[in-house]
Amino acid sequence: MFRQLLYTQWKWSRLVLLVIGLAAFALPLLSVQGVRPDDLGRFDVEQMLAGVQTWGLLYPVLATAAALILAMTTWGPDHRGKHIYALSLPIPRWHYALLRFGAGCVLLAAPVAMVWIGALVASAATNLPAGLETYPTILALRFGLAALVAYAAFFAISAGTNRTAGVVLGIIGGLVVAQLILLIADTNINVLSPLLIRLFVWPGPLEIFTGRWMLIDV
Amino acid sequence: MSHAIEIRDLQYRAGTFEIRDLAVNVPTGSMYGFLGPNGSGKTTTIRLMLGLLRPIKGTITVLGGAVPRESPRILARTGYVPEQPHLYTSLTVAEALAFHAAFYPTWDWTWATELLGQFQLRRDQGLARLSKGEMGKLEMLLALAQRPELLVLDEPTDGLDPVVRRDVLTALLDYVSQQNATVFISSHLVHELERICDWVGVMDRGRLVTELPMHSFKSGIKRLRVEHPPALPGDTPFVLLAREGGNGSLETWTVRGWQAPMQQYFAGVGASLREIVDLDLEEGFVELLRTFREPSTGA
Repeated sequence: MFRQLLYTQWKWSRLVLLVIGLAAFALPLLSVQGVRPDDLGRFDVEQMLAGVQTWGLLYPVLATAAALILAMTTWGPDHRGKHIYALSLPIPRWHYALLRFGAGCVLLAAPVAMVWIGALVASAATNLPAGLETYPTILALRFGLAALVAYAAFFAISAGTNRTAGVVLGIIGGLVVAQLILLIADTNINVLSPLLIRLFVWPGPLEIFTGRWMLIDV
Repeated sequence: MSHAIEIRDLQYRAGTFEIRDLAVNVPTGSMYGFLGPNGSGKTTTIRLMLGLLRPIKGTITVLGGAVPRESPRILARTGYVPEQPHLYTSLTVAEALAFHAAFYPTWDWTWATELLGQFQLRRDQGLARLSKGEMGKLEMLLALAQRPELLVLDEPTDGLDPVVRRDVLTALLDYVSQQNATVFISSHLVHELERICDWVGVMDRGRLVTELPMHSFKSGIKRLRVEHPPALPGDTPFVLLAREGGNGSLETWTVRGWQAPMQQYFAGVGASLREIVDLDLEEGFVELLRTFREPSTGA
């Protein structure tokens, strides 16, 4: 049963996975493009790390994009058929959703593996100055965890109706608009900051997306 | 008589459409034709019956299990062909079979292969490229090869050409004759149901108009030519569905529950019965709906 669901999801998302996988492989390689170990002074090392950090901003973006696209392709065909087929299958709804979620997680392993392989290749190909280390496995694990968190969120939203997605987007848009109005009105009230702190600062669920995503660091 | 499907006091609402006080009884082993015009609530009733939709109130029992609480167990024993094709169109025929088979412990690969040949479907054909007829045959194949005790078919032959329709119905009748399965088939193709069903339920505007054995339905509805009819029919032994004036003193009455001895009624009211015309199912169906919608026309 799981194998069949996994196969269908693979078939729906394989082209997208290929593109994401290539990007995931290329990103670590691109991030070490400017690294030249010869004649690096302290200033040059700081500049090099700043360059790696800039590239590092793309990892959470790629993890989010992979999760979003995978979640959408997971539910797309069921949405098109108004879920009639899925609902008529002889398993409870929660079981079906769990199988689909599990299959998506397995497929997410592909871009994570590509980040890891790309990071390993980039690490092997780079001759680092003394005092710097590469962290390919940590980077890949972090990428995987971020993708999993994003996938869980997008999966839950995609599983609902268009109305559910609309309500979620409406709430987010409403908060942004409210904050803008408060800013224009020159009040000291900040509705977004407390929310963002709860989400992005530990133990917030999205904390994984923040901080430095570095393949090379001290 | 045991029932494969029992619905009691069912109520459901979606927007302005409403199903009210619906009661349906489908005898075990019967072929039950569920008739009704488009938009009458047939598909909604079927979706409620299978637990795809949740009613506001009422009870639904299918194959002895309560819906929706026991839906997975019921669905494992039920073959369902929905009104619109619902399969994943990115799959091939072989992949669709493998996917479907994985969910049904009673799936019969030998028979599925046999039906593939019978329906002339190629394993490597993509579902997106199947014609409407081929898709209809594949849907029926999937429902039959899981060897269900109950088949719920929602307009399974709608839009199919006569050859495909015959293939699909032949496979269905073969299965029923082998397995003694119960079949619940909705359609607005009245003549099709007339040939194959032994029970009929008629639905209109979210309510069940009537439910009775097919032979009673077919034989009980007549069109009578009545000469010198009474202005007020009074207490008739039959149900007067409609009366229409003809030439002079001749009227046409459409009646239900007719039996030959009832002719004496006309002598009793000073009228005479000139002709009794048998109505086929379609004519009876139309008359029934007309009376249901305009009850004041009848007696």
